Amino acid sequence: MERPDLKLALGRLLGPAEPEVGCDVCFEELDRYVELELAGEDADVAVPGLRAHLDGCSACREEHDSLYAFIAGDRAS
Amino acid sequence: MSVLDTATVDVVEPVIPSIAPLTSPPSALDADSQEWLRSLRVDATREEAIARLHALLLRAARFEVARRRPMLPHLRGNELDDIANEAADDALMSVLRRLDDFRGASRFTTWVYKFALLEASAKLRKRAWQGREVPLEPESWGLFSSVALEPDAEAEQSELLATLRNAIAEVLTPHQRGVLVALALNGVPIDVLAERLNTNRGALYKTLHDARRKLRKHLDERGLALDDWLEER
Repeated sequence: MERPDLKLALGRLLGPAEPEVGCDVCFEELDRYVELELAGEDADVAVPGLRAHLDGCSACREEHDSLYAFIAGDRAS
Repeated sequence: MSVLDTATVDVVEPVIPSIAPLTSPPSALDADSQEWLRSLRVDATREEAIARLHALLLRAARFEVARRRPMLPHLRGNELDDIANEAADDALMSVLRRLDDFRGASRFTTWVYKFALLEASAKLRKRAWQGREVPLEPESWGLFSSVALEPDAEAEQSELLATLRNAIAEVLTPHQRGVLVALALNGVPIDVLAERLNTNRGALYKTLHDARRKLRKHLDERGLALDDWLEER
């Protein structure tokens, strides 16, 4: 089995150092955040704490990445 | 049961109480979003609008299923399509129940897609863990072994890991320890653990967050410089 990098493992264990929102706020704000990202605006300023949460919560990060990819693909087609 | 019943309905105190994005005033709705809301609320157009909405949600759910398909080689195509349909059905119920919550902060379609993607991804994570034991005890400390370290770094690493192991064993409550170990060490998906522990995702993440804060504080008090060890993910 390939060993993950120690730093990556520590990051998963200790989470983000910055203040972060919880999963509920993340879900509420995710659509706005993704649209701001796609528009090239500073989503992290508009929704503080959400990026840190995505760094700390793998499930929310997966859902962010899916929404981003789906909307980006939708608009490109 | 819809994932959203457990993931978002229960109120869990935000980790940052000072952030209040939910109180921001509704933005002006774009024409397309207005049309969606109107057609879903007017009796004469509601049924047809719901059918169109379901089609959108199903497309998003199928997108998510297709993205994750390589990670679920044991599932057949019809099983995956069943999951996509269930996700679309549950997302439709959630969207209709929460229609008044739509604030126009994004396009209506973007808002509804997130429901379908969440439902599909949560169902797929649960399916991947179906029948598997959820480990709550450390079983992968070996993952923290790093290759090709200089002797000085190796000693420092050993000290850090020993302090971490002790902190996990002694500083955290049993519940915090179990949640942290399952989610952050053993890779159990948060919605799978929430289902097994009969709680919700927001509450579990709050527990994880509190445990992480305790560990960071413990390491900091012992002068272990985490910045040298952590990197951007």
